[in-house]
This record gives sequence, C-alpha cells and structure tokens, in this order.
Amino acid sequence: MSDNRVIVVGGGLAGLAASVRIAESGVPVDLFSMVPVKRSHSVCAQGGINACNEIARQQGYSEYEHFDETIYGGDFLADQHPVLEMANWAPKIIDLLDRMGVPFNRTHEGFRDLRLFGGSLFKRTHFAGATTGQQLLYALDEQTRRYETEGKVTKYEFWEFLWPITHEGRCVGIVAQDMRTMQIRAFRASAVVMATGGCGLVFGKSTNSVICTGGAASRCYQAGAAYGNPEMVQVHPTAIPGADKLRLMSESARGEGGRVWVPRKKGDTRNPVDIPEEERWYFLEERYPAYGNIVPRDIATREIFDVCVNEGMGVDGQNQVYLDLTHRDPDYLTVKLGGILDIYEKFVGVDPRFTPMKIFPAVHYSMGGLWTDYTPGDYNPDAPKPGHKSGSPIPVDAQKGHGLTIGATNNMMTSIPGLYAFGEVNFAYHGANRLGANALLSCIFDGLCNGVSVVNYIKDVKEEAPQGVFDEAVRSEQAKHDKLVASTSGGTGDKAYNPYQIAKELGDEMTAASTVVKTGPRLEQAIAKIGELMQRFGKVELGDAASWTNQSLSFTRATGDMLKIADAILRAGLLREESRGAHFRKDFPERDDSRFFKTSVARYNPETGKSDIEFVPVKAPLVEPRARTYGKSDTKKETKETAAAAS
Amino acid sequence: MGNDSGFMNRHYFLLRRLHSLSGILPIGVFLINHLLTNSTIAWGLVNSRASENVAPGTIEQVGEMTARRVGTFQHEVTFINEMPFLVLIEVTLWVSIAFHAILGVYFARTGKSNTARYAYQDNWRYSLQRLTGYIAIFYIFYHVATLRWGWTFMSPTDEPWSHSQAASTFSLALRGQAQGIGFGGILVSLFYFVGVTASVYHLANGLWTAAITWGLTISESAQRRWGYVCAGLGAGLMLMAWSSLIGFLLLDVNHARAVEADMHAAHGTHVETTLPVAEADH
Amino acid sequence: MSSTEALREHEAQERKANRARAKAGRSVIFKIIRCDGPGKPSRWESFKVPVEPGSNVISCLKWIAANPVTIDGKQTTPPVWDSGCLEEVCGACTMVINGKVRQSCSCLIDEYAPLEGDTITLEPMSKFPVVRDLWVDRARLFNALKRVKAWVPIDSTYAQGAGPKESPEHQQTRYRLSECMSCGCCLEACPQYNIEEDESKWDESFIGAHAISQARLFNEHETGKRLKGERLEELSDKGGVGDCGNAQNCVKVCPKHIPLTESIGAMGRATTIHAIASFFTGKK
Ligand SMILES: Cc1cc2nc3c(=O)[nH]c(=O)nc-3n(C[C@H](O)[C@H](O)[C@H](O)COP(=O)(O)OP(=O)(O)OC[C@H]3O[C@@H](n4cnc5c(N)ncnc54)[C@H](O)[C@@H]3O)c2cc1C
Ligand code: HEM
Ligand code: SF4
Ligand code: SF4
Ligand code: FES
Repeated sequence: MSDNRVIVVGGGLAGLAASVRIAESGVPVDLFSMVPVKRSHSVCAQGGINACNEIARQQGYSEYEHFDETIYGGDFLADQHPVLEMANWAPKIIDLLDRMGVPFNRTHEGFRDLRLFGGSLFKRTHFAGATTGQQLLYALDEQTRRYETEGKVTKYEFWEFLWPITHEGRCVGIVAQDMRTMQIRAFRASAVVMATGGCGLVFGKSTNSVICTGGAASRCYQAGAAYGNPEMVQVHPTAIPGADKLRLMSESARGEGGRVWVPRKKGDTRNPVDIPEEERWYFLEERYPAYGNIVPRDIATREIFDVCVNEGMGVDGQNQVYLDLTHRDPDYLTVKLGGILDIYEKFVGVDPRFTPMKIFPAVHYSMGGLWTDYTPGDYNPDAPKPGHKSGSPIPVDAQKGHGLTIGATNNMMTSIPGLYAFGEVNFAYHGANRLGANALLSCIFDGLCNGVSVVNYIKDVKEEAPQGVFDEAVRSEQAKHDKLVASTSGGTGDKAYNPYQIAKELGDEMTAASTVVKTGPRLEQAIAKIGELMQRFGKVELGDAASWTNQSLSFTRATGDMLKIADAILRAGLLREESRGAHFRKDFPERDDSRFFKTSVARYNPETGKSDIEFVPVKAPLVEPRARTYGKSDTKKETKETAAAAS
Repeated sequence: MGNDSGFMNRHYFLLRRLHSLSGILPIGVFLINHLLTNSTIAWGLVNSRASENVAPGTIEQVGEMTARRVGTFQHEVTFINEMPFLVLIEVTLWVSIAFHAILGVYFARTGKSNTARYAYQDNWRYSLQRLTGYIAIFYIFYHVATLRWGWTFMSPTDEPWSHSQAASTFSLALRGQAQGIGFGGILVSLFYFVGVTASVYHLANGLWTAAITWGLTISESAQRRWGYVCAGLGAGLMLMAWSSLIGFLLLDVNHARAVEADMHAAHGTHVETTLPVAEADH
Repeated sequence: MSSTEALREHEAQERKANRARAKAGRSVIFKIIRCDGPGKPSRWESFKVPVEPGSNVISCLKWIAANPVTIDGKQTTPPVWDSGCLEEVCGACTMVINGKVRQSCSCLIDEYAPLEGDTITLEPMSKFPVVRDLWVDRARLFNALKRVKAWVPIDSTYAQGAGPKESPEHQQTRYRLSECMSCGCCLEACPQYNIEEDESKWDESFIGAHAISQARLFNEHETGKRLKGERLEELSDKGGVGDCGNAQNCVKVCPKHIPLTESIGAMGRATTIHAIASFFTGKK
C-alpha cells in the first residue's frame, strides 16, 4: 500500500471533491495545482447549482426531469447514463455542501432558497449570494485543508502538470514542474485524476481565468488520450469587453428592459447619449419584432456577432454593441440590478445607469474535453423513452435505477487506463450545450461519485513501474524545457516568433472562425492559419531565460499546447456538418441526427502533429432525441427559460 | 529566548488580559484620582470652605482665591497621606505600572507603525497609543524620581517635594523659582505638559481598545459610541490635567507657603519652619 | 455612516473624479520594483505604457511583458506577477499600488493616473517573502486557516441528510464572513502583522484579521461549533487575537468589506468567556 497513492491534478471544484473523497477512504492524495487551490477558476461562478428539491418535486419535478432537461439542453449529444446518475446525486450533493457550511440563501423559515434558471420551468437552482462558485469552492477547500492537516492530502501548489507518465499502457504518474524553482520532477501514483478545467484562453480573451489554457488537457491528448466533442464551446451573449478579459454581464440586464443597438452610421464617434433616437439601429428589435431584445440567447449572440463581425457596424469599429438601460429610472435599476451594474462600473469605470454599456458575446465554457468511459447502471431500458414532458410522471424504474454502476473502475476514465478526467475537462455531461448552473454540479458529482471508482481501481494495481520510466519522462520534459529556454538567446527579435504574438493571433483566429457562426470555408482557412502558427511556434523565441519563476516559459509552453487543441476544435467543427447546440454552421443550419447523432472523438496523430477525428454514436438508450425548440410559439415562456441560461 | 518566552507563551492570554486590566485598574483609576486631586489647585477656588483654616492676615496677603486653591489641594494631599495601608496601595501601584510598562514595551515592539501609508485616524491612534506609552514611562519615571525619591539633581530646584507643603514644593519643582519661570522651568513644564497629555490620551484610547479586547464592544456602532464616551472622558481628564498645570504655574510659592503653614497650624501638625524662598536668581 | 464607510465613499469619489478627467490616448509611467528572486537585491524599473480605455494594472503589465523595454530603452525581462480570475474574486493579484495594498485586476488606470505622464508605482506586498518581482508567497496566510481549524468537521462526504436549518439573517452574517478570498490586504496593512520567513515561527506569530474572522465564521455554524474550544484556545495563545492592536486598518482595506473589527471584538468576547468558563470548569 506504501506507494498506492493517487495524484489529482487541479484544485477546482472537481479536483477538490475528488481529493476529499479519495483521502477520506484512506488513500493518500497528492494534489497539484498551478495556483493555490482556493484561487482556482471555479471561484468565478456566480449563478448557482442545480438540483431537484422537495418543493419542485411536489410540483411535478424530479431528478429524471433534471436529467431530461440536461440532455435536451445539450441537444442530445451527451451519453445519457452519466447524466442520469448526476441528476440523481444532485440533491444529495446539495445536502452535503449544506453540511459543509456553504451559506446557501435561506427562506424565512430557514430552508434553502431557490431561484429560477435557464432551461427549466421549476425553481431548482440553489445559490449562495452572487458568488455560489466561490462558496462551494471554499467549502471543499476547507475540507481539503482539514485532510491536509491530517497528512492525508499533500498539496503541490504552484506546480504545473507537464505530462502523464505511462508504463505498459497504464498511467503510473506525472511529470510536473515547480513554477518557482523551475524544478522538473516525476511523481508516482497508482492513478491520476485530471481536473484541470476548461480551455477558454484558446480563444484569446474569454470569461475564463488566466490559467484556463487547456494546456494540461492538451498534454494528455498529445500523450494519447482521446478528446471528445472539441468543437462544442459555449459562447455567452453578454460579456463586458475588456483589455484583458471578458467579464460576464448577467442576462438579467436585457430582462429588465435593456435595449441593444449600434449607431446607424459606421464609425460614429459621438457619445452614445448624444446620438438621437432615429440614428440608432436597434437591430434586434428590427429583426425580431415579436421578441425584440429578449430573443433567445443563441440568437442574440449570433445577431450581435453578425452586426459587428460581418457588417462591421460595431461601436467604435470594434466588436461591441450598446446594451442600453439609460431610459430606465436609475433608482429602479439600482434596486433591480445593483450588483451587476456595480461590476460594470468597477471594471469599466462608467456608470451604466447613465451611459449605455458596451457588450459583446464571449467564449464561456467548453463542453468538449477529454473523452471518458463508464459502466452503465441498472437503469438501462431496452429502448429509449420518447421525449419526457415537464411535469409528466417519470418512468417507474428511473426513480430507483442507477445511471452508472457506482464504483466501476472505468467510470470517467480516459482512454488511457489509470488516467481519469473530472470536471470541465471531462466531456461527459453537457453534450452540445451546457445549461446554466449545471457545471458546478458536474464537477462535484465527478469528484464524489467517480472518486470511488478511482479508489476501486487502485486496489487492483499492484505492480511497480521501474524507475527508468520516470527518469526518462523527466529527461524528455527537461529537454523540451531546455529547448525553450535556449531559444531566448538565439532570438532574431522577429515579432512573428514572439509567443505573445502567436497566442494573440491564435485567439483572434479562433474567435473569428469558430465561435458563434461557423462555415466550412472559414474553418478550413483557420486550420491553415493554425498550421502556420504551429510552424512559427517551432521557432518560438522566449522573452525570459530566467531559471527562477519563469512565467513566460509556462505561458509559451501552454501556447504550443493550445495550438494542438485549437486544431482539434477546428477539424471536428469542420467535419460536423450540422448545427447542434453551441455549434452553429451557417452552411448546415439544421441538426442532422441521421449523420451526426454522434460524439466527435479527436485523437492526436504524432506523425502529423494534427488531429484525427472519428464519429462515435451517442449512447442514448433512455430518451429519444426530439426537436429542441424551447416552445418557440410561447414568447413569455421563452424569455423566462433563456434568461441567464448560460451564466 | 529560553524560559522567559516559555513562561510568556504558557500564560500568554492571562498576561495579555492582566496588561489590559492593569492599565485600567489600578493605573487608570489612580490616574483619574490623581488628576482630580491635582486639579484642585485650579478648581479649589470654588471651594469656599477651603479658606476656613487660613488666617485672615494670610488671606489678605495672598488673596482669597489662592487661599482656597492651596487650601483645597493641601487638604486632599493630607487626606491621602493619612489613608490606612498607604504603603500597600503604593506598592500595588508601582508593581502594576512596572508590569504594564514592561509588557507594554514588549507588545509595542511587536508592531510596526505604518501611518505614512495608511494615514487613517484609527491607525494614528494605534501608533499614538504606543508612542504615548513610551512617553509615559519617561514621564512617570521623572515624576516619581524627582518628587518621591528626592532626586533633585534632575529638578530645577534643590528643594525636595514635601507632602506637607504640597503645592509650594511642587510648584517649585515645576518652575524652579517662586515667581515667574526660568529656562529649566520651561523645559520641565513643557515636559509635564507633554507627559500628562500623553498619559491622558493613553488612558482614554486604552479604554476604547480595552472594550474590544474584552469583547464589550463588537459592532461597529457600539465601538463608535463607546469611542464618544472615551473621547468625552479623555477631554474631561485633559481639562483637569491642563488646569492643574496652569494652576501650579500661576502660583506664588511664598503665598502658597503661607497658606500651608496656616493649614498645618490649624490641623495641629508640626511643620518644620520653612523660610520663604529667596527671589529667584534671574 | 461609519468611519470606514465614509472613507470608502471618499475614496470612491476621488476615483470618480479622476475618471472624469482622464485623457484619452495618453501614456502613463509604471514604476515597478523588480527582484529576481529571494535574497536577490531589488531595483526600480520604469516603463512607459499606452493606456487603452478600461485599462487596468494587469492589462498594462501584460503589455509590459510583451514589450519589456524600460523607459530608457533598456531591454529587460518580462515582469512576474500573480493573477487568476481578473474579476476581484480570487485574491491572487494583490499588490501595493501607489503605496496602498489592493487587487491589481480591478485597479483602473483612469482612476489612478488620469493624465499624460502620471506615474503608477507597483510594489510586491511587504509582509510576505517575494518569489519574484511582484509575486509573493502567501503560504503563511493559508497556514493561519489551519491554526484556527477553519472548516466544518463533518462525519463524511456520504449522504447523511441536510445540514442545519438557519435563519436568513444568520445566513447573511455567515455569508459576509465567508466571502474572504485570502488576498492578504488586511495583513499587508496591519501594523501588527510583520513578515516572517521562518516557517517554524508561523504558529506563534500574529495570525491576522482574516483568520480571526474565519474562526468566528466557523464558530457560528451548528456543526462548526464542535471545534469552537480549540479555535478559541488558538486565538488565546501567542499570535492570537490578543496581538491585534486595534489599528483597524484591516477593515478599511478589505476589498470584500468583511467586518473584520467586529470579528475581532466578537473573538475578544468569546476568548474572555472561554477563559472564565475553563477556569471554573477546568475544561478547555
Ligand atoms: C464567469 C463564469 C461564471 C460561471 N458561472 C457558473 C454558474 O453559475 N453555475 C455553474 O454551474 N457553472 C458556472 N460556470 C462554469 C464553472 O465555473 C466551471 O465549469 C467549473 O468551475 C470548472 O471547475 P473545474 O474544477 O473543472 O476546474 P477549475 O475550477 O477551472 O480548476 C482547474 C484547476 O486545475 C489546475 N490546473 C490547470 N492546469 C494545470 C496544470 N497544467 N498543472 C497543474 N494544475 C493545473 C488549476 O490550477 C485549477 O486548480 C461559470 C464559469 C465562468 C467562467
Ligand atoms: C500612565 C499610565 C498608563 C495608563 C493609565 C495605561 C493604561 C492603558 C490602558 C487602559 C490600556 C488598554 C489595554 C487594552 O487595550 O486592552 C493600555 C494599553 C497599552 N499600554 Fe498602557 N497605560 C499606562 C502606561 C503605559 C506605559 C508606561 C506603557 C509602556 C510603553 C504602556 C504601553 C501600553 C501598550 C503598548 C498598550 C497597548 C496594548 C495592546 O493593545 O496590545 N502603557 N494602557
Ligand atoms: S485591527 Fe488588529 S488586525 Fe486589524 S489592522 Fe489593526 S492590529 Fe491589525
Ligand atoms: S479579510 Fe478581506 S482583506 Fe483579508 S484576506 Fe480576506 S478578503 Fe482579503
Ligand atoms: S486576479 Fe483574481 S482578484 Fe485579481
């Protein structure tokens, strides 16, 4: 048992939940994170976490319904068993978080309060003020610290995962680098859990934190792990463009009467409040007279994108439009939207009560991620049920049946045995589109439920990999590292080989070609561009040769890895000739179940350095696909459902 | 650091709280009492009964007001000096001050003032609490050494303080001469002003912090309201302290002496005849 | 209005006024303390940075990293700093800006350097050992959370029913305390909190306002209370709440507006009661 340790890479919600669960069962955990785990990206989530609850249940809601919404919201691209299991666990997860001391908002009587969120007619979203993700992360951080003091968890903070070590086809450890001393070291483990979050930075600026490069996932992918649905990336319609980051602006601003417009005259530099009404183009109201500014979020996203990118009508010639609330009473706005307007003022330095906000859609969440396996549970009907209707009785067996076989060792294991993927880096739960407040759930569910699978897996792992395997892995990483450092001195000073420049071009290209509206030719063009960037990256020149705390090096290395992921995103997007969820192909605007009711699985081809894409049928034995309309005929319901759906 | 710090660590809480307590009781309470006594040299003038024991001739010579002021003050001093267990009270006080001062210096050295960067009022008060503590050490030492231990070499006068001629000898110790004031007197008077001001500030602000230390004031508004009370108390004490100083500075030593002599005569105590003080060498 | 609120309001007005007179298209000077690593000497370097609308300190640092040439034309290394969320919720990017500690991601240039050629100084926090340039090692801050056992001692992570019921008022009290993002502003500004590089001395040196407040948070939770005695013992010992000198800087610089001085008072009271109770019962 001495060496029977588990490595968890990533200390967001998923990584911490896994660490706590695994440590609790007596298995020592080595926890790696690039930042102190309490500062992981999960801290940013604001909206809440979904779960069936007693009140909703008495109104006809159920775990099964939650499952169905998630599948439907994801446009039927997710394999269905894990989603059912996740929905079944959700209420128990909320209870557990409650016991851990998460200050969930309360009703008068002292019960947990609920809010309505996108994708459901029932109040099923639990929240802690406006910082739910932060509160959940802190609760798990505290439990992890408790195990740390007991010696069951060892933290390696400011350590960067570099490569998974495999021996005889199994993952037996990792190579990691201390970001301060730059020491590169191998760590042994009987199993490795990747919980490294999303890859928003592939798109340059996004709503993600600065470490969300997807670098870690990319390294696993390059080491042979399959990557599922890379093309499925969610874009949030309203974010605040910033010099450094795109910060989320809640959709409730539109809900409270916000009007979206741009000046009719291209390049109009006047102060927006001075532009008379007739010289403003309220393009949403014009194009969608019925819905106006409260069109569903994917439409809003596409139209804003179209006006700016295709028509070049963005405010100040940039990719941004006005979201105008100035016609509303400032006091009313303060009462209704105080918190979010303050955020805008804090970061933009402009008071949106008196000056229209500038907003633009932003990359927000990656549904795609490392491909993972599972063993179905005992709820496994022979034929899928037809579409479930809100409030109708749930299938009898589903009430007690399991979606997953709990503890099966392959649950959420990647295509490399012994290497697991939990949280946003796992592709499993959200299909082609994630429902608001479901991500936090999937992260914690992965850690708690599938942490048990990891524990079970290592019970059977006995043999020790020889030391040479580890030495070789370190040597190989050290060589890559030394090559990068050596590039500093041999620099030509040509901007084309500057890593920041390459990263910027990557982000710009990906945002332009592969976010809101995609077309075949544009994707092909982008693939070529990425190819060019990869070539330039081969001759990249580092700005800093320091052998101590070299941040440029870490960033540069991640840039190389982002290029690989970008290639997979583009190729899968090109091959998926349909529109589904977040993936909208202008040249194939309809969902095509006959050809693409399939998961795209990307495999890295070490020969070409490119991605090979394969389409694998979705495992959908529980519910049948149906049209994803969100009841378009009913305007009222539409807006209710779509508001805040993606926050 | 050895045993000292070991002892300290074992009893840290107790020492902290005793330090806080000692600042209030007995030191703070003594200070209030002491200032009350001293300020009679100014406010004694409203005490019409104070001149009862002073001979009419003397009153004529020194004036009714001086007679009352010196009379009241001497009365108070005599009262204190006739208290039972005086030694015990004194020893308790000295021990407390020494304890509070030694620990105070130790605690003060754990902090690093940063008012240059964070020039907030509360932060200034924090720094002043430490500064005034240090000042109080020197001040109390000087005060006790010159008056109680008779180290007149540090004093502008050669004449030791005497509790039977409390006002006149103290006034001398302050000014160095019977009328007016010399250079040494100015220095000592200024030192007294600073010292006593510092002590009063230290007590008033200390009462404010003590309420947080002990957890009597928790909410911000409670702290604010208690702050007003402390400020009021501090202002009152400050008034007493300054008026005492002014009282002593504006006292004619020979007049005071005459009053004191009459007081003792009436009281039936024998006082060594003290000669009027020679006019100061200007 | 409390003095803290008044101060915040005043500072907000000042920033707003600066914003109003900010010149478009200007460049500002960044004076940054550079240090190559622990034990290495530090030096100032200045950079001239063009300001975009909405620029903040991090976006300017990024610009410098991509163009690491000082104002007098000297090629230098990209500066190193710590950051994460860029939304003022993770606490990573804390540094000393123009002499005062705050988050750099939410520090708008318009509010700090509105005119052409205005200077912004960046220094690493002084109460923690520098790793490199503006990046400091705040491990001691997290260690303090261990000292006060800042967690709820649940039995297990398996389903065992819901947590305790709670009134909305009580939830609000806890929520406010629970927003602490371990940024360290309160420690940087505290005159009683001083740099301590020797890890073996951490458990005896001042624990800091953030941890005192966390102790209060967990003592307020039904299950968290089980460890109340142990937390209060820790706070009574050397380096505990007694070492606070009530300068109240902490509450003024806390970006999350956590009522730190109230927590200090509350823990003062709790330790008082705890001491009296354990004196009479003989129990800790
Ligand atoms: C602004 C915003 C708001 C959101 N709001 C909501 C919401 O309301 N509800 C909801 O359900 N979801 C929301 N989401 C989505 C949700 O926050 C994320 O999907 C989720 O937090 C991801 O958690 P995670 O544990 O998978 O990864 P993260 O929290 O991203 O953590 C990743 C961890 O991996 C580590 N890591 C990464 N790379 C490496 C490496 N190379 N070496 C070592 N360690 C590494 C990092 O240090 C970090 O600890 C929101 C997202 C954003 C951006
Ligand atoms: C004139 C006599 C003095 C009086 C009346 C007095 C009174 C007080 C009081 C009431 C407190 C508040 C305790 C608390 O906050 O809990 C205090 C604190 C303090 N005193 Fe004194 N004190 C005196 C002399 C001194 C001296 C000579 C020093 C030496 C430097 C000193 C140093 C301190 C310090 C440092 C504190 C702050 C302790 C802390 O908050 O950590 N004091 N004093
Ligand atoms: S009140 Fe206490 S903790 Fe806060 S700054 Fe002052 S001394 Fe530090
Ligand atoms: S209490 Fe405030 S200042 Fe201190 S660490 Fe927490 S958030 Fe930062
Ligand atoms: S980067 Fe997270 S607080 Fe500034």
